[in-house]
Amino acid sequence: MYHEITLTINGEGYTLAVQSHHTLLKVLREQLGITSPKMGCGNGECGACTILMNGLAVNSCQVLAPEADGATIETVEGLSKDGKLHPLQQAFIDHNAVQCGFCTPGMLMSARALLDRTPHPTEDEIRYALVGNLCRCTGYTRIVEAIQDVAGQSDS
Amino acid sequence: MNLEFTLNGASVSLPDIPEDMLLVDLLRSTLGLTGTKRGCETGTCGVCSVLVEGKLTKSCRTPVARVAGRTVTTIEGIHAPDGGLSDLQQAFLECGAVQCGYCTPGMIVAAEALLRANLNPTRDEIRRAISPNLCRCTGYQQIVDAVELTAKRRMGESANQRISEFQNPQSTIHNLKYVGNPKLQNVDGPDKVSGRIKYVGDMRVAGMLHAKVLRSPLPHARIVKLDAGPALAVPGVKAVITHADFVDHGNFGWPVKDNYVLAYGKVRYVGDAIAAVAAETEAAAQAGIDAIVLDLDPLPVVSDMTHALDPDAPIIPDKPSTLTAGGFGEGNLCDRHIVRNGDPAPILEACPVVLDEVYTFPHQEHAYLETEGVLAIPEPDGGVTLYANNQSPFINRDTSAAVLGLPADLVRVILPPVGGAFGGKDDTVYQTTAQAAKLALVAGKPVRLVLSRAESMAASYKRQASQIRLILGAEADGALQAAKAEMLMDSGAYASMTPLASWRATMHAAGAYRYRAVHVDTTSVYTNNGFSGAFRGFGNVQAAAAVEMAIDELAYRLGRDPLDFRLQNCLREGDRTMTGDPIDHEVGLTACLERVREASEWDRKRAAYAQQPADTVRRKGLGVACYFHGSGLGGEGHDFAVSTLAVDPDDGITLTSGLTDYGQGSRTVFSLLAAEILGVDMQRIRMLRPDTHTAVDSGPTVASRASIVGGNAVRVAAEKLLQQLTFAAADALHCTPEQLVRAGENFVGPDEEPLTFEAVTAHARAMGLPLSVEGKWEIRPIHWDFEKGTGEPYLCYVFGALVAEVEVTMRTGKIAVAGLWAAHDAGRILYPAGALGQLYGGVVQGLGYGLTEHFRYENGIPQTLELNTYRIPRATDAPDIDATYIQTTLREGPFGAKNLAEPVMVGAAPAIANAVFQATGQRVRSLPVSLKPVPSSH
Repeated sequence: MYHEITLTINGEGYTLAVQSHHTLLKVLREQLGITSPKMGCGNGECGACTILMNGLAVNSCQVLAPEADGATIETVEGLSKDGKLHPLQQAFIDHNAVQCGFCTPGMLMSARALLDRTPHPTEDEIRYALVGNLCRCTGYTRIVEAIQDVAGQSDS
Repeated sequence: MNLEFTLNGASVSLPDIPEDMLLVDLLRSTLGLTGTKRGCETGTCGVCSVLVEGKLTKSCRTPVARVAGRTVTTIEGIHAPDGGLSDLQQAFLECGAVQCGYCTPGMIVAAEALLRANLNPTRDEIRRAISPNLCRCTGYQQIVDAVELTAKRRMGESANQRISEFQNPQSTIHNLKYVGNPKLQNVDGPDKVSGRIKYVGDMRVAGMLHAKVLRSPLPHARIVKLDAGPALAVPGVKAVITHADFVDHGNFGWPVKDNYVLAYGKVRYVGDAIAAVAAETEAAAQAGIDAIVLDLDPLPVVSDMTHALDPDAPIIPDKPSTLTAGGFGEGNLCDRHIVRNGDPAPILEACPVVLDEVYTFPHQEHAYLETEGVLAIPEPDGGVTLYANNQSPFINRDTSAAVLGLPADLVRVILPPVGGAFGGKDDTVYQTTAQAAKLALVAGKPVRLVLSRAESMAASYKRQASQIRLILGAEADGALQAAKAEMLMDSGAYASMTPLASWRATMHAAGAYRYRAVHVDTTSVYTNNGFSGAFRGFGNVQAAAAVEMAIDELAYRLGRDPLDFRLQNCLREGDRTMTGDPIDHEVGLTACLERVREASEWDRKRAAYAQQPADTVRRKGLGVACYFHGSGLGGEGHDFAVSTLAVDPDDGITLTSGLTDYGQGSRTVFSLLAAEILGVDMQRIRMLRPDTHTAVDSGPTVASRASIVGGNAVRVAAEKLLQQLTFAAADALHCTPEQLVRAGENFVGPDEEPLTFEAVTAHARAMGLPLSVEGKWEIRPIHWDFEKGTGEPYLCYVFGALVAEVEVTMRTGKIAVAGLWAAHDAGRILYPAGALGQLYGGVVQGLGYGLTEHFRYENGIPQTLELNTYRIPRATDAPDIDATYIQTTLREGPFGAKNLAEPVMVGAAPAIANAVFQATGQRVRSLPVSLKPVPSSH
């Protein structure tokens, strides 16, 4: 069964016919070709599918597409503006926080949500904010440093 | 509606299907069954054929509501019980009935419908049954063979023979396994007969946008206003582009840079692209196109090429054309070429018999069944990956990179399977590619742009309409003495390849005969009649048609048999061609003429048809034509190709070439050459499709040059690789390389202990020998002096002759071709079934050129944009062709091969025209042949 839903994704309006049993992740990736949110586990465990939905970091594999009707969605595709990387993206590069890159989009979105609500988080707060995002490469240290760097910059 | 029906044996239930949706769209878009193709929008071509309740049905004319509750079978549902290929599909492979493969699924569906209704059809019944389906490659003959063979086998006969089998005793070269083997099959065959292969229009990626192009409705106009902005306000539209989005307004073109990716300042023909839109659906893209504000101010039109150079003719190009011989053209002059071989004037004055006539030829459309298409995918590095059905991926890459302002390494062109080209996918599709690439980069999403049939017919280039004046002089004994030719060719709105095609026409203007002196003067001009460029034969189709009709008339005036007259004057080894070029290789032209004379029973039939009573209702006639054709680019440019070979870890062998296969079979030729030289099973060879990231630039795939140049590049690579393997085998067997012999794939040393291919490669790897090589081959430098009109135009020539028999219904003027006998000298034949397929297909394209194909412009307006009004031959329009290859040897060719794909088409039209003369007494000097009906006296 199809539902017609409207979404605002990275500032652009979409009207879509989606199947009732399809997840938001599936619609983003397969219907719209927005592939930065990854399918890592399908159970909401790994966070590779993290996006912002109405400003909150959510696992898009755990949201049914019809539930998202009317929502404002942000993905990594919307982070950089006019060909310029978002400070978080630049900090991830500068701090070598990227290895295989598969968790990176989800990490960036969780970090973005954190800084939106807590501009100057402590290291513990950062680590707590990333608890839903698994990374098997980096050991997290450099990701935390990158986020601290951005939080520090916004101080000055 | 809720649609329920049985599809390929399984019940399907689909909710929310619009009742007016077409079955072809349901199959392709909703269900992803892309074996069913789209080729036209008018139910004319049959590539969308399916069975509904066992009955042959065009799915592009079938609303889905009509199949509710019924049984539908598509190509995906036709297979053997074990899921493998059916007997019919196998027979298509055995008979060489597959070339580009785009019509193949529909053909198999049509043939299956016939065989279910008629267990033992005649060849005529088969032709009638498949006649709703068009094929532009094969000439239908091997398809008929495959259906006939299947019928016989289903009747319990252990049939293997087929009418079109390659039966030349010279075909077997001793000790060769693959070269010249009549059993060789097309390497892409299984994927094509099963409908599995994906053409660009069959490809889909997530988030893909659809593109449409705004095209000029006027043949010549100034763009007064172009506001593309309103398109962006249309829901679903994601990008819109104009000339302003490209570097230097998207100016491109080779050899003359006179075209634009999207029109800048002016439009010059009906179909000229102006703006392009990408949107979420095709309908939204069209709505975007409709929203663009365009104001055109009509300019005077040049439609008659004979007036294009008049002093008061409106000027079409922005700036003067660059002439090949140097300097610039004035006004609408596109290019000039000359031949200056001796001085024919005094010789002609002294000739007792001189013919001076003018011949005219129409524009011809390629009518490949797959229209131009591109899938553009933007990459994270700012580059773009392009799946484009072009002939020359490196030219495409360089053109796109230049207009997009990207370095070439950020533009990657990958060649999908191509559904026919015939010279026609070597220009317009580069423009289409750049449009799709820019839309994808602007939208940040993949964009697919596939032209509709009407759009393709309007936008794509044609064979040049031409007017040729020939003056031929002969002695009373029939010896040809001298020739003068004046050629005028219509390049249309842009130069495209006309400067090169008109050069080739110039090099062939006086035909395959000996002369004491020849002058040729060729002029090509700009008009507003579409535009013209490369098309199989590349100028020689017009040149050969004119000279062969003229030679026939000259023979008649001399009271000579036209075939005898040709034998007296035709080129032999050691002769000089009409340009003065000495031929230093074997020439099979007299053998070709003798062969068609014997096979067609020329002498008996000519005598009999000369005696037909004047009131015969259906009059018969026999006509002949012969030709020569320079191989490769010749004086046009640097003629080289590169191939790579690498032994993979599993001992498969990966082969690349920068040259492309658009149906003509070069992938099979390259694969068999590699296997033959390496002495390995052909199954080991994995030929990749050209990808500008992995293959090496080899120039364009044109000019019938793939076999000689590309084949030699494969040979060089294979010989290099074999050297490494031989070295390793000798080391392993403790002998010298010279002591090794091969037994099958094995290497055998003096102790007669065989070493398997796998053991040799393992040893080579252990020795650290490179098992990856690159082979390059180029034709030795050839020089034509464009300014003086002298020099050596080509490395070598191929030759051929053709006899046609026609039956003309005098009352109506209807011409039926009752017989065709073709013989062609292409050196050694490498891939017999493919070579025959080229010959049948080329001859039938020539038949269309002679009888039905006329792409007509009235004051610059095209008069037909659909396949139902532009008539290409159907299966019932052609007879079975008796085809022979006269095998000679070219020293430089791989295993002695020359080339064949283009020249095989040039003889058919003039042979038919000459046959019409014998039948009717009406001399034909204009194609397509159009007869005045003779009222019946009864």
